[in-house]
Amino acid sequence: MTTKRSLPTFTRRGFGALAGATMLTAALPAFAQTSGEPVYIGVSGPKTGLHAQYGALWVQGFDLALDKINGEGGINGRPLEYIFEDSQNDPRQTIAIAQKFIADPKIVAEAGDFSSTSSMAASPLYQRGGLVQFGFTNSHPDFTKTGDYMWSNSIPQSQEQPLYADFAVNTLGLKKIGVMYLNTDWGKTSKDLFASAAEEMGAEIVAAEGYLADEKDFRATLVRLRDAAPDGIMLESYYSDGALIVRQLRDLGIDVPILATGSIYSPDFLELAGDAAEGVFTSVYYAPQSPRPEVVEFRQGFLDKYGEEPNHFNALAYDAFNILAAVMREYGTGREEIKDGLGKISGISSVLFETVSFDPETRRVSGPEVTPIVVKDGAFTIYTPEQG
Amino acid sequence: MEFLSSLISMPWLDYSISGLVIGSIYALMAVGLALIFGVANLINFAHGAVFTVGAYIGWTCLVGLGLPLGVTIVAVAAVSGGVGALIEWLAIRPLNRQSRIAPLLATIGVALMLDQIIHIVFSPTPRALPANIPDWRIAVGNGTIGAIDITIFATAVISAAALYAFLFRTKLGMAVRATAQDDDAAKQMGVNINAVNMTVFGIAGALGGIAGLLVGLYYNSIDPNASFQMMLKGMVAIVIGGMANVPGAIGGGLILGLIESWGIGLFGASYRNLFAFVLLLVMLLFRPNGIFARGKERAAEPMTGTFVTQTKAITLPRPLIWVLIGVAVILPMANMPYITQVMTNAYLYGLAALALTLVSGTVGLVSIGHAALVAIGAYASALLTTKGLPVSLGIVIGGAAAALIGTALAYPAFRLRGHYVAIGTLALGEIVALVILNWEGVTNGALGVFAIPPLEIFGLPLYGTKASYWFVLALMLGMAGLQVRLLKSHLGRTWKAIREDTVAAETYGVSSNYYKGLAFGFAGFTAGIAGAVTAHQWSFINYDSFNLLFSVLILTMAILGGLGNVSGAILGAILVAALPEMFRTLAEYRMLFYGAALVILIRFRPQGLLGSG
Repeated sequence: MTTKRSLPTFTRRGFGALAGATMLTAALPAFAQTSGEPVYIGVSGPKTGLHAQYGALWVQGFDLALDKINGEGGINGRPLEYIFEDSQNDPRQTIAIAQKFIADPKIVAEAGDFSSTSSMAASPLYQRGGLVQFGFTNSHPDFTKTGDYMWSNSIPQSQEQPLYADFAVNTLGLKKIGVMYLNTDWGKTSKDLFASAAEEMGAEIVAAEGYLADEKDFRATLVRLRDAAPDGIMLESYYSDGALIVRQLRDLGIDVPILATGSIYSPDFLELAGDAAEGVFTSVYYAPQSPRPEVVEFRQGFLDKYGEEPNHFNALAYDAFNILAAVMREYGTGREEIKDGLGKISGISSVLFETVSFDPETRRVSGPEVTPIVVKDGAFTIYTPEQG
Repeated sequence: MEFLSSLISMPWLDYSISGLVIGSIYALMAVGLALIFGVANLINFAHGAVFTVGAYIGWTCLVGLGLPLGVTIVAVAAVSGGVGALIEWLAIRPLNRQSRIAPLLATIGVALMLDQIIHIVFSPTPRALPANIPDWRIAVGNGTIGAIDITIFATAVISAAALYAFLFRTKLGMAVRATAQDDDAAKQMGVNINAVNMTVFGIAGALGGIAGLLVGLYYNSIDPNASFQMMLKGMVAIVIGGMANVPGAIGGGLILGLIESWGIGLFGASYRNLFAFVLLLVMLLFRPNGIFARGKERAAEPMTGTFVTQTKAITLPRPLIWVLIGVAVILPMANMPYITQVMTNAYLYGLAALALTLVSGTVGLVSIGHAALVAIGAYASALLTTKGLPVSLGIVIGGAAAALIGTALAYPAFRLRGHYVAIGTLALGEIVALVILNWEGVTNGALGVFAIPPLEIFGLPLYGTKASYWFVLALMLGMAGLQVRLLKSHLGRTWKAIREDTVAAETYGVSSNYYKGLAFGFAGFTAGIAGAVTAHQWSFINYDSFNLLFSVLILTMAILGGLGNVSGAILGAILVAALPEMFRTLAEYRMLFYGAALVILIRFRPQGLLGSG
């Protein structure tokens, strides 16, 4: 259960649309039709097992992205499709799937898997096989280090945690921070990076409590945290455990400000945490209230298609396909061309980031920015310091 | 010193309250498990799945249909009671005359199916379960407790009291107890034992379902993945309280909650499950009848010998074996890297299953903690080779480490029998995983081990798909050949003698612990190299790479092939590793078919495909 997570990457969408679509619409009839042999992306991810919910969220994002991409003429006239192989987020199965994709000439790039364990087990195979592994939920700092075929639009914690620390210390003015973290590679790394950034900014970390991924009861742990007398609490959590912690925290009568990573940014967090969610701070790359056209299009499209608000895993999946499609449109659909294209492409706008370009050295997105959010009247709203 | 002062200044009251709150949840779970254990002499692994069914029926009524809470409780009890009775009718009753392990595995198969049905029907995303329960809270110490906390506690106590009264004050209760003691005698006295068993499973199911509903309301969150962990905690609670002791289950649950909570207070939450499983092991070793048992009477031990279904093993004709080996050797020539990789995985499973079939089949110690041996081998080799040791040496040391550490850890469990071995090894498996997670200085903790060097032997790279296939195949065949030789020697006969009747073997001067140790050592070595090779193949492992589900899977393979049967273990591994691949196109329905296949196999061929050796 070492899910790694990545910041709410919600925003992706439009990049390809802008570049590709404007060009295409100029050249083609208004309702671009795709034809010919489809271009296939191989997806390795959990459809069953403990992490099946994330695979289901991906599929929603992928399908919405394909509606858009293919509605705009696909990859230069060829439809984009994907083949989803269920890995159960199990490394034994991801390596078998990797062999399958590498050997299948139809597949031009691979997306996934979900956790570090399962993705990184397959990385050496993808590297040797020369197939891009686009790990869109892999914020593990080592994920892209296996080789130059590993790319990610997920922001590594080394970039995002200092942004949280800055918000906690300099915006909220916290001096004595207590941290609760999911004891996985993701949570542990996040906690360490947050702590060192916050201490550098002059705050003190008075407690840091790890918990296991399948834990539901936090009362005893929270008593420990309370006795350290923090003036604010940072949660390195996913939305489901984050919601449980926030509820139990308020039940215990702890009422200091709570800040949580962007992975709690999900309508489900509000529902699961109920009233206790009120006043919780977070920050995201994707804010649904954002007036950016890519965000509006994504959110509206998602609401129309599924009748519910998207969450950040939906946006991650949506962005991943749009980025790959933009690269393919511009640089071609050869495996090598996609790898090289990822290093060259720039200025794609997405749901998560205003513009996406990759640092060819780290193979991560360059210079991401976040939007601070607070839960107000049962909804995520953009936070401005004047709100107090 | 710091520890002592924290011991004194710790807010004991607050920790005790939180311990009692979570303890009542464990107790609620434990009551149903204890009831079933009392009657069927069986740990019902599907009890957790019934818990989940209850939670989702509750959601359907409360949120989906907008029914009031009272109606919901009745509906939940009725449906999950029905599911419980159905489990008895479909999966338990037909196995009445089979070995003890058969129904236990059948409940695992049913649990897989139920969990998967919930996944498919309700989606795997956690959902909120809001209800109009009074939201007053009483301040106790520095914290508060609410109406739902008290409801959970009261439900556990009242249901246990009602059950106790039912069992000891009613005529049907007497029939239940009679059936538990001797079902043949009960039948002779005119008790309809099938009806009794079904009633008991129904009651336990209803309780489990209500537990699911209440816990869902408590957390305002239900998800289909919570069930197994809950079941395990309930199991620890009944071991503490005495396996079949219904009121004891309440005590067991509360004690477990308190110890976990105090432990978290002293050491932190990452150690929570470590306390739970160490406690389980200590109880098994020193108070196997539970903390409330009077005196130290020994647990009944009718299971020696009967725990493994005895049949005549099918011996594959020699020419067939050579043909199969030949096919395996030339398989990569077909140039299908996907198939080659799947088979490499299957052979790695095969190595682990060989090890397990030796300890569980030949010696009769059924282990659900086999992943621990594999994990020790994987970590030993991974940690040493990332520091510069050659991979070939790392693999051998990995095997040796698993043999030594595994045997040392399991040694105290050698005196356990039957179910207790299964539970004890399960606890050991969890303990090893949690030590790996918490011992950061050595194991790198939650971060896992990254950049493990790829397979090679003396500078000869073996990481190509075909090369690693042949290497793993050779390892598996080599170890299998060795195991066959051992079984034919006096060692094999001694091991079987211990399995058949330990007391008789001891009387003949066989030191059973010594021979059990030898078996564990050999099996540990095989499992350890399986782990080491896996680590080099993946390049990344962490504490969760070899978890409880992995143990269950390996056990399934060994049983499928026929416990103790060497070629059976390999066949089982190939089937279990390849079946889910074949079902891949079924996507969400895959695990459902897998669970069903398990149940059907146990039902119709409990001695395994090739018969137990």
